[in-house]
Amino acid sequence: MLKRKLSTRQEAYFFASPALFLIVAFVIFPLCYSFYLTFQNYDLAIGPPAEYVGLENYQEMLEDKRFWRSWLNTFIIIFPSITLQLLLGLGIALLLNRPIRGRAFITSLLIIPSMVSPVSAAMAWRMLFGVKYGGINNFFMQIGLLDVYFDWFATPARAIFSIVAVEVWHNTSFMMIVLLAGLQSIPQELYEAGEVDGASAWQKFWWITLPLLKFTMIVALLIRMIDLTKIFGLIYLLTFGGPAGSTQTVAFSTYLSGFQDFRISYASTLSYVIVVGVFLLTLVFQKVSRFREGGEA
Amino acid sequence: MIGLSKYRLRWYVGMFLTYAGIAAALIFFLFPFIWIVTTSLKGNEDYFTFPPVWIPTEPSLAHYERLFTHGNGWLYFKNSLAISSLSMVAALAFSVPTAYSIARFRFGGSLFSNFLLLLRTMPAIALVIPIYVLYSKLGITNNYFGLILLYTVFYIPFAVWLLIGFIRDVPVEIEEAALIDGCSRLQALLRVVLPVIVPGLAVVALFAFITTWNEFLFAVILTGAETKTVMVLVASYTTGSPTDTFFGEASASVVLGILPSFLVAFALQRYLVKGLALGAVKG
Repeated sequence: MLKRKLSTRQEAYFFASPALFLIVAFVIFPLCYSFYLTFQNYDLAIGPPAEYVGLENYQEMLEDKRFWRSWLNTFIIIFPSITLQLLLGLGIALLLNRPIRGRAFITSLLIIPSMVSPVSAAMAWRMLFGVKYGGINNFFMQIGLLDVYFDWFATPARAIFSIVAVEVWHNTSFMMIVLLAGLQSIPQELYEAGEVDGASAWQKFWWITLPLLKFTMIVALLIRMIDLTKIFGLIYLLTFGGPAGSTQTVAFSTYLSGFQDFRISYASTLSYVIVVGVFLLTLVFQKVSRFREGGEA
Repeated sequence: MIGLSKYRLRWYVGMFLTYAGIAAALIFFLFPFIWIVTTSLKGNEDYFTFPPVWIPTEPSLAHYERLFTHGNGWLYFKNSLAISSLSMVAALAFSVPTAYSIARFRFGGSLFSNFLLLLRTMPAIALVIPIYVLYSKLGITNNYFGLILLYTVFYIPFAVWLLIGFIRDVPVEIEEAALIDGCSRLQALLRVVLPVIVPGLAVVALFAFITTWNEFLFAVILTGAETKTVMVLVASYTTGSPTDTFFGEASASVVLGILPSFLVAFALQRYLVKGLALGAVKG
């Protein structure tokens, strides 16, 4: 039998098609389906048949206080988290960039928190934050800083503080590793030239390191923002949205609508706002990283 | 002379502060792990005493035994292992040819790589709602197969993107030689390219395994009594207020949950920095 040679174009499709098929079947099609659902009143608690309701879900969403609150809550968690992650991550990266022994080993130890799942991290911290017999309260009682057990989740402010603390613990090392890579790509000659000109350590940091690290910082911050917009595991484990809904983030309140109230159509509508938000952040991310590549080339 | 010693003194102080800072960072990032491991080894008598016991008086594996034998821990552990390894293999099988097509034929151009990036950042919550409805209609919630396929697809964009780099590093010449000798493209990929990129495949595979092992949202919504994963098990210890948890089993389940991450973190030591940073540093 004569084997016919495929053209290059056909070959390209031949190799890419299995994955493309899966992506269409398991991502594109479901997303189109859920977009269709946003115009229905599909409700698992009441049950089908669902019918076409036009823009009712969107209208309800815009009037829903919980929806606006959830975006506000998400921002309230995102901004202190990424600020602390940037400052701490930059600080540790600067330390690791100095001539120290065992840098590779220390770095790989420091990365471990960002390798574990949000669920495991949150469970460990939930136990550390435990009111009675939790590790932190135990420690502060023992050294005499506390004389009554402290509830780390009792008020909205405390709950947000605790979530931010766990998030900072969990993902600062990502920021650290990205900034360390950025620091190591700064040409050493620039610092030598600065030294010749008599620049102080602070001046070298301010005029050489920071400007050259600017885009790396923005890109890393954007990655954390995209991730944090979707924050779910930490919330589920640490507060389940409480107290008084103060830690219900967008992904979590969508989850509650869909899988506690079983209002599938309404949850789809909420989820599309997250898709749009993440989509916009991703576009910014793309623009910035392309601009950075162009600028450095 | 005095100037020099002053300079050296400053250098020593600087290095001392550097190491002190690093030590503080190590303590902050690692103490929760140490605490959770010691907690899982304590006997019940060590939990509720004052002053608190930090190092177990009689370390025992009793909680692990309970986790595996009294509850469904062993089943969920096996589930996680099976789901993670099968979707790891499937993700590789689907991603390698796609990455090859992009690396060698520039399949889809920049539009397609932008599309892959968008898929990578896709919020899981937006996907799980329609998937839940569709799976319920097909009757495949609480089903290994449905979950494995979903994890496979969700990991493909990242895997493809990592693999493109590894495949581009393989010189085209050795492939062309094979093609001239009568190999088909598929044979060239399987017999020439694959053996060369084995280290790359290992990195992608381990990241895939750990990503699936750690995943929670799909797992908590799409699994039932028999198909739950370790992450769902860990989360199940949150019933009640944060004030009381079952210390022993909960901490043992956390250790079980983070164990693969630790192993992978050390196995990938060399690649970790690149793997994690690449996304931000190279685009």
